[in-house]
Amino acid sequence: MDGAGGEISPEILDACRRGDREAFRALYEAYKDRVYSIAFYFFQADADAAGEVTQQVFLKLMREIARFRGEAAFSTWLYRLVVNACVDRARGRRADVVGEDPVTLDTIAASPALSHEEMFARHEVATSVQRAIATLPPKLRAAILLRYFEDLSYSDMADALNCSIGTVASRLSRGHRLLAKKLAPVRMAFRSEE
Amino acid sequence: MFTRHVDDSLPRYCDGELSTADRQRVDAHVAACERCRLALEEIQFSASVVRQLKVISAPPSVWNGIVENAIVEAGLPWPERSRRQTRRARGRSYPLRWAVACGLVLAAAAGVYLSIRATMPRPWEVAGVNDGGTRRMAAGEWVDTGGGSAARIIVGQLGTVDVAPQTRVRLGQVSPTEYRLKLDRGTISAEINAPPRLFIVDTPASAVVDLGCAYTVTVAENGAGELRMTKGWSSLEWKGRESLVPAGAMCRTRPGSGPGTPYFEDASAALKRAVDDFDESKNRSEALDVILGEARVRDTLTLWHLLSRVDVSDRARVYERIAQFEAPPVGVTRDRILALDADALRRWREELAWKW
Repeated sequence: MDGAGGEISPEILDACRRGDREAFRALYEAYKDRVYSIAFYFFQADADAAGEVTQQVFLKLMREIARFRGEAAFSTWLYRLVVNACVDRARGRRADVVGEDPVTLDTIAASPALSHEEMFARHEVATSVQRAIATLPPKLRAAILLRYFEDLSYSDMADALNCSIGTVASRLSRGHRLLAKKLAPVRMAFRSEE
Repeated sequence: MFTRHVDDSLPRYCDGELSTADRQRVDAHVAACERCRLALEEIQFSASVVRQLKVISAPPSVWNGIVENAIVEAGLPWPERSRRQTRRARGRSYPLRWAVACGLVLAAAAGVYLSIRATMPRPWEVAGVNDGGTRRMAAGEWVDTGGGSAARIIVGQLGTVDVAPQTRVRLGQVSPTEYRLKLDRGTISAEINAPPRLFIVDTPASAVVDLGCAYTVTVAENGAGELRMTKGWSSLEWKGRESLVPAGAMCRTRPGSGPGTPYFEDASAALKRAVDDFDESKNRSEALDVILGEARVRDTLTLWHLLSRVDVSDRARVYERIAQFEAPPVGVTRDRILALDADALRRWREELAWKW
């Protein structure tokens, strides 16, 4: 993917279009972690939801890859499938369950040799960030994750989110405003450490 | 001098998406405005913590789930799986939507495509359900259950077709690229796991083209028919007219006019009656009013097909009704849809299909 190491080769895509199962496996291996991670954070570290969305995305991809003509980058098309699957699933759920503890994973990148206190603090930050993201409306959540987790440009986001660049900016702005409120305690804690 | 606050520009400012002039304007404003400076710090902070989220590895169960669901949905062999894993898969149930199930079937079908292509097609085999015997039959022979019996046609490695009593089916030519039956009258139920367009059933009023699915087709004495989909998709085709029918939907066919307009079987009775009236040209204008009034988001299946079937003067009404449920994707304009631009119609259908 663009934000994580470039595009899959045209040869693999061609093989996928011809129904080559090994090529699908290679395609899956190339993108599975990015797709899974977006869904994972979209659904507040819900591994079941992330797994199901990832399956759904790749199955749809296999079904429709013959229609991918390469007008846009493959990754942009894939991101669009991911966002659609996440937003669609979110519509079918009540507001995401906020308040339950997410999976106890240290999902903030750690540097080596952290103390127990630092590890605990990082875990708390990761949990808070996951919760904060999960409280955003689905479209704002998708925008924030594509921009800051996947590092997509505004232009690629516009393609993936099927909207204008202005709408991308507006969603990010609203998303930031909501995130800032939710993350205020974390930020204060960081400040007090400085 | 104090300029307007720049909150809305701050994300683009942080992300380097502003022009030089706008960036300088924000620089100057933030230097003088504490409120916007704090807002900027908040954005920088939230962006930085989201950026630090780690990539999570998808567990092996995700790929296994893809394979396993393909096996469960399609009943297909998947050489990479062990029997033990397959048994475990059958005990698991994911609440995926029908669209995903369709994807599973097609993905599995794509998976077996090469092996099917590499082998010679098998001849027709027909089992008498009542007597239990199986025999090979040649192209051109008829399977007739007029005596009240039933039969099962084995379609090579692709699946089976159950032939109900009082049914007459002719076996067509078999080739690596096509298995073809002709349903003269009666009812057949097909369960096919094959690449799209490999299995076709001709009826007096349409050809049922398999796109990876299970369905029942009935043809009456007068040649009229109906297709009811239980899994996947089929396409009804006749003289350039095409109806796409997904699982849960049905479509009638009429001699001389081909496939009608598909609708979901759980649509309101009024909508279904109105679709039939529309297709039979009975008070089309009134029928369209009812369809538009009764349609739910799922019934955009019906509305999408009507775009190309209503009078030109009514097309905009159909467009507006669909757009109330799901706006067309970027680049698909109202004008392109009203002009029946094939690419625009396809792209909108692909978006709408998520709701079908």
